[in-house]
Amino acid sequence: MKYFGYIWRNARRNPIRSALTIASVAISMFLMMILLSFLAINSETVNDLKMHNRLITISSQGFSQPVPIALVRQAVAMDGVVAASPMNYFGGMYQEESLPFAQYGVDADVIFSIYEEFPVATEQLESFRQDRSGCIIGRKLADERKIEVGDRLPLKGTIYPCNLDLTVRGIFDGPSGRDLRACWFHWDYLEESRKQSSEGRGRSGNAGAIVVKCRTTDDLTRVAEAIDGSTRNSDAATRTQTEESFVRIFLEMYGDVRGLIRNVGLAVVFSLFCVAGNAMAMSIRERVTEIAVLKAIGFTAPRVLFFVLAEAVLLSVLGGLIGALGAKLIFDVIDVSRYGGGMVPIFYVPWSTALLGLGAAVLIGLASGFLPAINAARLSVVEGLRKVG
Amino acid sequence: MIPLKYNLRNLRVRWTSTVMTVLGTGMVVWSSCISFGLADGLRHSLRVSGDPLDLIVLRKGATNEINGGFYLEIAEELRTLEGVARDKEGRPLVSLELLNTPLISRRDGSRATVMVRGVEAVSAGLRPSFQIESGRMLEAGRGECLVSRAMTGRFLGSRLGETLKVGENESYRVVGVFSAGGSAAESEIWVDRKDLERNTGREGSVSCVQIRAGSVGGREKLVAAIEGETRFKLQAIREVDYYASQARSGGFLTFSGILIAGLLTLGAMFAAANTMYAAVSARGREIGTLRAIGFSRSSILLSFLFESILICSVGGFLGLLATLPLGSLAFGTINSATLSEVTIGFRFGPPVMVVAFLTTLAMGTFGGLFPALRAIRLDVVRALRAL
Repeated sequence: MKYFGYIWRNARRNPIRSALTIASVAISMFLMMILLSFLAINSETVNDLKMHNRLITISSQGFSQPVPIALVRQAVAMDGVVAASPMNYFGGMYQEESLPFAQYGVDADVIFSIYEEFPVATEQLESFRQDRSGCIIGRKLADERKIEVGDRLPLKGTIYPCNLDLTVRGIFDGPSGRDLRACWFHWDYLEESRKQSSEGRGRSGNAGAIVVKCRTTDDLTRVAEAIDGSTRNSDAATRTQTEESFVRIFLEMYGDVRGLIRNVGLAVVFSLFCVAGNAMAMSIRERVTEIAVLKAIGFTAPRVLFFVLAEAVLLSVLGGLIGALGAKLIFDVIDVSRYGGGMVPIFYVPWSTALLGLGAAVLIGLASGFLPAINAARLSVVEGLRKVG
Repeated sequence: MIPLKYNLRNLRVRWTSTVMTVLGTGMVVWSSCISFGLADGLRHSLRVSGDPLDLIVLRKGATNEINGGFYLEIAEELRTLEGVARDKEGRPLVSLELLNTPLISRRDGSRATVMVRGVEAVSAGLRPSFQIESGRMLEAGRGECLVSRAMTGRFLGSRLGETLKVGENESYRVVGVFSAGGSAAESEIWVDRKDLERNTGREGSVSCVQIRAGSVGGREKLVAAIEGETRFKLQAIREVDYYASQARSGGFLTFSGILIAGLLTLGAMFAAANTMYAAVSARGREIGTLRAIGFSRSSILLSFLFESILICSVGGFLGLLATLPLGSLAFGTINSATLSEVTIGFRFGPPVMVVAFLTTLAMGTFGGLFPALRAIRLDVVRALRAL
């Protein structure tokens, strides 16, 4: 540590070069944070779901196929089940905007005891339960679109041939990493509207999906098997899985995007290695005489190696700090997910990703300083002292 | 003008620095181009999917084929409408189709919702240059399926002769691999409509109907006839418009492309500037000499700018070359309009070349500008005296 002053001065000797190197690392690191966060947030959310002991049942033929509503009652009766609710994705348009936010038809009596992590005021919940055409919406949806309790929320059906004329009865909060732009309404209301239209009648009795809350983690597998077992030989076979496994499907759907992000991330690291390495090599070339003097007055080769490596790491880590922490701060203050058009429901830079970025910066520093450092350590004193310019 | 040879030789003398800068800029151009090539691939496939004479008929209010379901008996009536084109055998080119989007495992174990389309004999005639690449055409009612060339092998059980398991009680034998001119159909698995109807318990309904009109005038008459019949409650959308509305999902790729290209280019500008600053400061005496023997400031400015652009161009060219192997890439991701898997090919077209050109030019120009300005501001006498 006692050499820090020397290394720091060296780093500041060519301020333009150092600033450019740091800026280059910082900007690329900023980009890498955005890309990697996209992957990390999803897996972080998925892991957070584990503690809630919830199962999701969908048709074994995919999301668009129905799940019989009678299965909800069967599930509630099973041993180890606390509550179960239909969860019917409506996918309606709001003010001519398609896919504006998620809308689900649920059982108003139990849904907030299944999703305990979403707090809602007791009197709001009560008035939601009383009103068959009422709904409860997430905090972000309410704030961004300036919707208040008591406002109407008309939805135009696209999947279902019917429209819903909802009234907002409450607003729920929740952890920042969750979708707080959802709208929950009475499944019964959807069913009624569906029965009123001639095309919709064929699809009534569909729960969409079923969410089942189990008492303990140990109940999950048994209950899931029991539900699927009860439908196996019917014409509506189901597939039940834990909520985190279900949510992971949506992450997996991105498919090769994940590989693309990783490859671009690696390419960025490699180009930073070239950029920082080049800058360091240029600095050392200019300081050949000086390094020879250092060695002449008794500094050993490993120590010289250390000086150069430390300087390279210092520059790269400074860039990494600005890029990674800057990205973390910026996205903590600005919620970009509201401009994401539904493709990115939540966006922030998780600490794990920021730290990964800093780790990458250290590695880039070490790798980029390696060759110049070896050259400096190997430098012959006589040659170095003789060099002019 | 200072001879270009001067710059070339300089780049050669400082070859390590040159190589590093070339590699760095090459990587930047390469990564910047990828998303644009994929977005272009998606746009291209949606463009060729829409035939100007084709109509897609959906339930009124539906936004895409998947949620467009209506009754089979109404769909059958569409076959008898006037103005419909006919194929060689004289059958009306009206294809009743049923869609399902089951979850299917990719070969790496991850899951995706895949568009399974129940088709009829005429359906193939409504796709651009539909062709069986290997195997044979579907036979009705035998639990068979066709997999597109782009998808075969990417999903479990999707190779010719294998069995594709779709649901608990639903599977299809792959009897053929097809191509459809790079259109959206290449992201689909085709089965017999009746098979799919039975397997998903949706007898008596269709998801959408595709119609080819005999002429442009006939197409407009068909639209009027279909939408005018109040009993139908249907909408007829021109296929071209339908696919154009789906291009929205390409927006995400384009946006990420702009983000990547923008930020990386900015970062690379600094890197190029670094190289050029070093080049200028190492050549103080040379610059002084050039000035002393009469070269003007502007020619020195140009010379240094040229050197910077040259070095970035080599990198840009290499980066662009490195995208060529991506041409055979089959890239699968989610189509946000239909929430099902879309298979995109990387397209080495104008957007990729434009992006490569612009990023290269930006890096070279802005990276070289400030160092070049410094070079011309050098005081001749002091520069000459410098050791």
